[in-house]
Amino acid sequence: MSGGNTNASMNAQSNISSGSLSDRLVRFRHRWIPTHMIGEVLSKNWIDNVVPAVILVLIVAVFGSIVPNFFLPANVSDGARQIGELGFVVLGMMFVVLGGGIDLSVGSNFALGNLLALALTNVFNLPVEIVFVAVVFTCSFVGLINGLLIGVLRLRAFLTTLVMLIGLRALVDTLLLKYALVISAGYYDNAVWDFMGGGDLFGIPSSLILFIVAAIGMHIVISRTRFGWHVMAVGGSRRSAHNAGISLRRTVCSTYVICGAFCGVSAFFYAARLGNGGSYPGVGLEVLALTAVIVGGISLGGGRGSVVKAVIGAMIVQIINLAVVQLGLQSGAGQLVLGLILLAAIGFDVRWVKNRDKILARVYISPTYFELPPSPSTDAGSASPYAANDRLHDVEVIGLNQVDGPEDVVFDSAGNLYCGDRLGNIMRFDGPDHQQARIFAHIGGHPLGMAIDRDDNIVVCVGGMGLYRVRHDASVEKLTDETNRSPFSIIDDSRLRLTDDCDIAPDGRIFFSEATIRFDMATWPSDALECRGSGRIVCYDPAKKTTRTVARDLTFPNGITLSFDGKSILFSESWACRVRRYWFDGPKVGQIDTVIDNLPGYPDNINRASDGTYWMALMGMRSPALDLALRVPGFRKRMAQEVAIDEWLYPNINTGCIVRFNESGVIVESLWDRAGTNHPMITSMREHKGQLYIGGIFNNRIGRLKLAGVDSDWTGPKSYWGGK
Amino acid sequence: MSGILDRLLSRRQAATVPSMDGVLRPNEALDHAHVLASAPASDNLAKLGTMLVFSSGADVLGLPAASRGGPGALLHHLEGEITALAAWDSALAIAIDDIGLRFIGGPYDGLTLATFDGRPVRCITAMVFADADTVFACIGSAQNGPGNWQRDLMEMRASGSIWRIDLRSKAAICVADRLAYPNGILIEGDALIVSESWSHRLLRVTATGGRGRPEVILEDLPGYPGRLMRAASGGAWLAVFAPRSQLIEFVLRERAYCTRMMREVPQSLWIAPTLRAGVSFKEPMQGGAVKVHGIFKPWAPTRSYGLAMELDASFAPVRSFHSRADGDRHGIVSVCEWGNEVAFASRGNGVICALPVPQSNLQERAK
Repeated sequence: MSGGNTNASMNAQSNISSGSLSDRLVRFRHRWIPTHMIGEVLSKNWIDNVVPAVILVLIVAVFGSIVPNFFLPANVSDGARQIGELGFVVLGMMFVVLGGGIDLSVGSNFALGNLLALALTNVFNLPVEIVFVAVVFTCSFVGLINGLLIGVLRLRAFLTTLVMLIGLRALVDTLLLKYALVISAGYYDNAVWDFMGGGDLFGIPSSLILFIVAAIGMHIVISRTRFGWHVMAVGGSRRSAHNAGISLRRTVCSTYVICGAFCGVSAFFYAARLGNGGSYPGVGLEVLALTAVIVGGISLGGGRGSVVKAVIGAMIVQIINLAVVQLGLQSGAGQLVLGLILLAAIGFDVRWVKNRDKILARVYISPTYFELPPSPSTDAGSASPYAANDRLHDVEVIGLNQVDGPEDVVFDSAGNLYCGDRLGNIMRFDGPDHQQARIFAHIGGHPLGMAIDRDDNIVVCVGGMGLYRVRHDASVEKLTDETNRSPFSIIDDSRLRLTDDCDIAPDGRIFFSEATIRFDMATWPSDALECRGSGRIVCYDPAKKTTRTVARDLTFPNGITLSFDGKSILFSESWACRVRRYWFDGPKVGQIDTVIDNLPGYPDNINRASDGTYWMALMGMRSPALDLALRVPGFRKRMAQEVAIDEWLYPNINTGCIVRFNESGVIVESLWDRAGTNHPMITSMREHKGQLYIGGIFNNRIGRLKLAGVDSDWTGPKSYWGGK
Repeated sequence: MSGILDRLLSRRQAATVPSMDGVLRPNEALDHAHVLASAPASDNLAKLGTMLVFSSGADVLGLPAASRGGPGALLHHLEGEITALAAWDSALAIAIDDIGLRFIGGPYDGLTLATFDGRPVRCITAMVFADADTVFACIGSAQNGPGNWQRDLMEMRASGSIWRIDLRSKAAICVADRLAYPNGILIEGDALIVSESWSHRLLRVTATGGRGRPEVILEDLPGYPGRLMRAASGGAWLAVFAPRSQLIEFVLRERAYCTRMMREVPQSLWIAPTLRAGVSFKEPMQGGAVKVHGIFKPWAPTRSYGLAMELDASFAPVRSFHSRADGDRHGIVSVCEWGNEVAFASRGNGVICALPVPQSNLQERAK
């Protein structure tokens, strides 16, 4: 056995067979079939609606074909009217269930409302408006009693509302004994009342119109208001909601009040339609409403659901209900069908909730075809500008174990050094010796790239949070965490997730990179695996306080620096191994040029050097095995599915280097730490008064290297903002 | 068909390897072993009388019993790379790449066998003397030489064979073939124990060449087993020259990628096990191997590892000696007891190191 061929001379990367037919097919497929969107669609919250929507379509199709006259306009109109009535109760039930409760008393409450409405109209002849208010108020009051018992006194929701169901039903029956005759003898002649009961607008039944309005309103409440979020939070996790400072008592109580109010509205329409003073209205309504909620996909455990689901659920249940009647089945059969469907829906819901994340985890990562030319030589002793050396071996280490993850380092005009760390602090080393670190300010997230503005404030990109500014007095100010949403993006890309590096134009505009919109700080390896252009460059204008995306579809845009001409920014695209230039001013405004193509490693931050060139960190080096894998997307996809993440093939970020290049993209020199003792991964470097300061995102130290033959007075702030 | 279905529904199993647990719990024993000798390609160890001999490149070197280490005296220089070594009394059997099997010392001094049963002798990976006149040899692969063992693995070959050579008649007969890189051999009564590297297991093979199916005696090893050597306690020493890893098992399944990798990427940079990883920064790196705070974690996924096992008389592991991902005794290719010590040849780091023979074994020996 022999030790494998360990000599490292393999710059002659063998011929790339990219011309082959299968390779071209793979390239075509990954260019034109956007499979990554499957994962994006699956990650949306509304995807849960797909299941009940499919059930609804199936039910309409099945009953439409077996029930005679199912689509007769009169039948449809009547069904729609009843959907409106049931819908109100379902909306109310949805609120209670979302808040983690259950309300069994809706049927009796409904009966009470019905009786009250008939009594107030037929017997007392009150105006419709007053009747409406009185009914809704009374039913809300019943809800309030429920709410007080359950929310405030902490009784069991199931038992409490069960008692309420029985008690109210007894009350209604007692009242009926007394008033049934009077009610049925009375007559109430009122156009509005009749319209409520049987009228329509453009063929849409009155109750349905009001229901649609109510549903839209409730959707806004649930998804866009503080109260709605509180309800969801309480239902999702009572303890967390409590810890977050949400009042459980008030929130839970109000869900029952809302439920009662909707019962009242529903009862009002029902009374107007049928004028039924009998004892059966509302019997079994709680089962119907619960079925609708569950069939719609609203979790009985609370915290998961939406108005759309409630609406779909109400439609499904009501259609089945009517179809069973029209089919002439006995009333017990209708209950049986409903019960079976409920069972199936619950089973399906459980499976869906259990497996949705699994499916998502499998399909979300969607590597694409990416071809890099053979890497330039990095062999030590070769004539290549990238030739490996040990010039970083003898750096002076500062702040060892005082910092944890200084991705970037920056100097203010007084010569103090600042860096971010993994704990979300901005650390400061006082100049000129920079020996002792102290916490300057705390932001949170992971502060990454930094820049110094005209007033000597620190502008910093915070991974996971956005763009922030830290002033002299260490006060922290959020500049922006949102940009404009891309028109056709499935993912809501308005929120900034992984802001990476920034720089400031002479007019004060801040250009910053967001490495990827598909992943976040902790899952960047997935983006490396995908190698998809999902990053962007965003501009924040402090004068107008606006944030706009200026360039999209970049492959992990990372470092950004203002070029010396003040009209363009240079930015690195890590996985694409290139540096490009974005013109924000001058004749080529808006255009992007390539400055350096085909780097031997993955570029990170870029910063100015004192002699009019630029420093750039290569955080890791390319490996031929990974370069090949980039041309075999299926390999990476299956790797993501079948291999644990710690075992994935990664970009080799254990050896990095620093290169210097000039305005036209020619590499002037490179500095290496081959042994990787102090700087295995280099993410940033900053020149300051003849020294180069080096940071690394996984490192616990900052390196300082004396530079030979450079302007020892040069500082970053002076270069940007003049001698101040 | 089921393969296509599995693919469509992405139903394939996750790539897994057995964990190092129980007896195989990682330790740093090999890193703490003292160095006996340094040799750039230290390979097969053997005991010649009281001397510890080992091969390195084309040289056979020896450490006298009294020396307890040192550079090693050059005993023989041969005309090609030595791929395996075995000793009996004063006789040495030396397998030379592309030349054949040479005998030095003993009754067959100077004999060279260039063919076995008419076929040229290539890729001998391990040998053992049964008696003064009989040698058993493992041919790792019919396609690839010993220097190309990574290729043999990545091509998923199973073309190795075991040969019995009768030195009196110079006749060689094949006693087992179609093995996935047999790479270690031991006499066990009238049978042979063979380590089958690419199948991660030990087999029992009849020494007479009967057509019986080989019996599996130890399987699911977490690495690729190499040479075997008899222990004085009655058990055996097993050198495990490289670790298995999820990523490599996965690459082995990905035939299209694997083939392209072998064609387009230099061999030292393959996603393949190796005797020493981390030589070049162009080598593939895995997620868990990222250095944090300047520290390379010992449990990082790695393509090379140092592992030797002690097996009991029934070939169940009883003790293991490790050099973990951050260690520097990787690629253990041979283990040999020498006096009260046991010597390990770390080919990955080019050293021969030794530890005292575990105390319990010495007691057993005294009984």
